[in-house]
Amino acid sequence: MERDIILKEVGKILIPLIQLFGLYVIINGHLSPGGGFSGGTILGTSLIIMHLIYGKDFIMKIYSRKRLITSLSISLIFYTLIKGYSFLSYQLHLPHPSAGVTGRILSAGFILPLNIAVGFLVASVFYIIFTIFINSEV
Amino acid sequence: MDVFITNYYETGAVILFGIGFATLMLHRNLIKKIIGLNIMDTAVFLFFIAKGYIFGKDAPIIVDKFKGVDSYVNPVPSALMLTGIVVAVTTTAFALALTIKLYQHYGTVDLEDILKMRGDQND
Amino acid sequence: MTNYIPIINILILILFSFVMMLFKDKKKIKYISIGSNLVVFLLSIFLMVYSISREVITLSIGNPNNLLGIEFYIGKSESVVTLVFTFVMLMILWFSNFALEKEVPENRISFFYVLINILLASLLGVIYSNDLFNSYVFIEVSTLSACGIIILKDKKENIKATVKYLIMSTIGSGLVLMAIAYIYSITGHLNISLIHETIVGNYQYHENAVLIILGLFTIGLGIKSAVFPLHSWLPDAHSSAPTPASAALSALVIKVYVFMLMKVLFRMFNYEIVNSFIIMDIILLLGSMGMIFGSIMAIMQKELKRMVAYSSVAQMGYIVFGIGLGTVTGTAIAIYHIIGHAVTKSSLFLISGLFIEKTGSKKIEDLKGIGREMPLTLGLFTLGAFSMVGIPILPGFISKWYLSLTCIEVGRVPLILIILASSLLNVLYYFPIVINGYFGNDNLDGKVYNSKKVEFIRILPIVLLVLAMMIIGGISFNLIELFNI
Repeated sequence: MERDIILKEVGKILIPLIQLFGLYVIINGHLSPGGGFSGGTILGTSLIIMHLIYGKDFIMKIYSRKRLITSLSISLIFYTLIKGYSFLSYQLHLPHPSAGVTGRILSAGFILPLNIAVGFLVASVFYIIFTIFINSEV
Repeated sequence: MDVFITNYYETGAVILFGIGFATLMLHRNLIKKIIGLNIMDTAVFLFFIAKGYIFGKDAPIIVDKFKGVDSYVNPVPSALMLTGIVVAVTTTAFALALTIKLYQHYGTVDLEDILKMRGDQND
Repeated sequence: MTNYIPIINILILILFSFVMMLFKDKKKIKYISIGSNLVVFLLSIFLMVYSISREVITLSIGNPNNLLGIEFYIGKSESVVTLVFTFVMLMILWFSNFALEKEVPENRISFFYVLINILLASLLGVIYSNDLFNSYVFIEVSTLSACGIIILKDKKENIKATVKYLIMSTIGSGLVLMAIAYIYSITGHLNISLIHETIVGNYQYHENAVLIILGLFTIGLGIKSAVFPLHSWLPDAHSSAPTPASAALSALVIKVYVFMLMKVLFRMFNYEIVNSFIIMDIILLLGSMGMIFGSIMAIMQKELKRMVAYSSVAQMGYIVFGIGLGTVTGTAIAIYHIIGHAVTKSSLFLISGLFIEKTGSKKIEDLKGIGREMPLTLGLFTLGAFSMVGIPILPGFISKWYLSLTCIEVGRVPLILIILASSLLNVLYYFPIVINGYFGNDNLDGKVYNSKKVEFIRILPIVLLVLAMMIIGGISFNLIELFNI
């Protein structure tokens, strides 16, 4: 189905901004309100908008179901490994990154990588849920 | 009576919980049941967060400098409820997906009617 | 290092379930699944050996000096339950290796292994966790993955059963979360030990609130563990699920919530406090009703798997009955029954799956003469049925015996009649299958000896489960000594 040209042109401008904002919320998650879940939702929304404006075929080229599942499971594995290490490292006195200076992006130990993993996970999951519902292939 | 007015958050939460619970139990339509479930969850979130709120204190975010423990509200209930919201989202998504599937197979979302159809028990 | 086995167990299971999602090849997924479960089982053996010589292992996760830190609490009962659960799950996975293809569509088989790992991890999490909110999250995860393994078999019945299960159990978890909110507002803690310290001195100032908390926990966890009047979802869900899934659901999943209820009643409060409320009498009443009505409804069933599922309702009645007695021995027997029933019911479900697969019918009446066609399988079924009915030295008998002794101890002798009646009712629905299977000329007419034999490697997990059942029966005295909450 041919979509409206206005939608397509506005989408070209807005979608990168939405994605940038999502990345900002994820990366700044340990310093301000937000974090992996909220930022991931924003990223997922941008994917959903892309699907609605440019159609299924366009987005399936970049984010196919298989690739989404792969990114989902890799971020889950990454999350489990880091979180597991951080659970154990306190008790076993293994080295863990220092808290750093409050206010810097590279601070707060494990929280930044965990936020990034959660962000990508949530983005893929939200988009997968959306496609499941819109294609009614439950 | 005064107790209810001073603790209006909790009163509201319990009333909402009752509404959600009644919707979940009494309605036959599955979509309405799921809405009731969400109302019930929201009531619990409200109750929990009201427990952490202290009148006149700031949100627990350090903006310029740390103002001391006493000047922020309790962040633990909010953090817990963030997890609770994620759980509620997943449950709702799963329930809605099941509803679609159920509609495809039975042609109705009325749970009572579906339970009456004893259909394919012998296959 | 042995201290950290609980968390390593959970991490291994979760990690490998995500690794499985990366693979497409079913053989590899099966190897990963069985391998990770085997590792967890071996680690659980270490954990049990280690914890028997100690009182309690507490393990705070993250920063130990933090009151908010999540904590694991592993006593002797937890470690034994872990060992039995991981063993049963390993056997179920072994069985499903050969049986799953026959029931589940080809493209969904890998989901089963992913979900089973997550399910076991969350069940272990509920058992270990000493933190109410953490337990709540694990409960939700286990519910969703349990729903997932029911719906794998893509039939109308399954979807209906899953919807019923999901609606009921979300009501349950809503009530549990509300109870957690209440207890948090009274005590300001979520850690069970800290709540205990706070509430023991102060509960009489909050009697109504404590009563509400106890009620919410009992009903919420009761729905999830199918305590008698709240069981309506169980027969549909457990009978329509694929066989390995129903074995896992019936043997493990519903037990965990009762275990959590025990922790709430006796570790968060204590025996003295809960016995001063009416709630214990209600729990006892629910247990007795479950024992009787669960068995009566099992007698009325015409399908094998539905009958075994209703028998689970009756057996949950025994566990709840043990809790309701409100004594240390009562709780120990409840835990003993949890592990005894886990082993017995999983083998019974797996055998029913074999019967249904070989005869091609779900009906009980089509099982006549099955003893000539599948003698070994029906023999194993007979042993399981003996345990359910209560033939000496098998775990079912031990639980009933000690429950009766405890009834006398607390001065409630008439309750023994309920136990006896329930045993007799058990005879009425298990023995006809065995008797019709082995004896009677008209039953055995035209049946060829060993004609429906199953390869031994498929029966071996069931044999091991039955052996474990006998061992649990044999060392019952030592086990019951170990258990406390």
